[in-house]
Amino acid sequence: MQRTVTVASRVGLHARPAAVFVKATSAASLPVTIAKAGKEPVSARSILAVLGLDVRGGEDVVLETEGDGAETILDKLAELLTEDLEG
Amino acid sequence: MNTRIVRARPLPVVAPVTGRAIALADVPDAVFAQNMVGPGAAIDPARGPGVVVSPVSGILVKLKPHAFVVTAEDGRGVLVHLGIDTVNLDGGGFVLLAEEGSVVPAGTPVIRWNPAEVEAAGLSPVCPVIALDADLTAVRALAGSVALGAVSAGDRLFTWA
Repeated sequence: MQRTVTVASRVGLHARPAAVFVKATSAASLPVTIAKAGKEPVSARSILAVLGLDVRGGEDVVLETEGDGAETILDKLAELLTEDLEG
Repeated sequence: MNTRIVRARPLPVVAPVTGRAIALADVPDAVFAQNMVGPGAAIDPARGPGVVVSPVSGILVKLKPHAFVVTAEDGRGVLVHLGIDTVNLDGGGFVLLAEEGSVVPAGTPVIRWNPAEVEAAGLSPVCPVIALDADLTAVRALAGSVALGAVSAGDRLFTWA
């Protein structure tokens, strides 16, 4: 199951927003991947991988996970990314 | 991306800037202070023009004016963040001395900056140095290995077991 989300944080998924996001994905019951549109997905539980994506504010990312509860997890993560995590 | 980590040997991490090494808990930013980005240490940099060097030998995988990540040969990544909220300076006052993707032995100059200017802009120039994706055992060993106090760029800061 996939979900495309526009990242709200003006600075993108850099140190602090990335840390908040990775903490949430690490707490999720299923492994989640994150990718830029058309690019290779990486583990959303790795801060190194997420920082490496270099996601800018306003850019779309694709979140993906499979299994029981996938939809709930994607809902939560999508909501998180549409907040300004710099706050 | 292959993020599998092969533990070859403890990774020595050197101070990227000259100043005073402090505990991460003393960084004036809750996300860094609570180890949410990862464990590590921070340096309160000497005020005045300075050069920031690579904390480990590896590849400069990400380079921003105010922050960069170097991955060591074994895949472990170290983040250096120059000041707090400095992304808001939009690169002003930072001069890049290396290129993203290049090989940077520990101690290689990466960025030139002036912590006094960051402070004058109303921001903290404190530099977190973070072990990314460190596991729990590494976190404990790392915390005990931090060399607090006066450091020069290139001096050992902590060891990532």
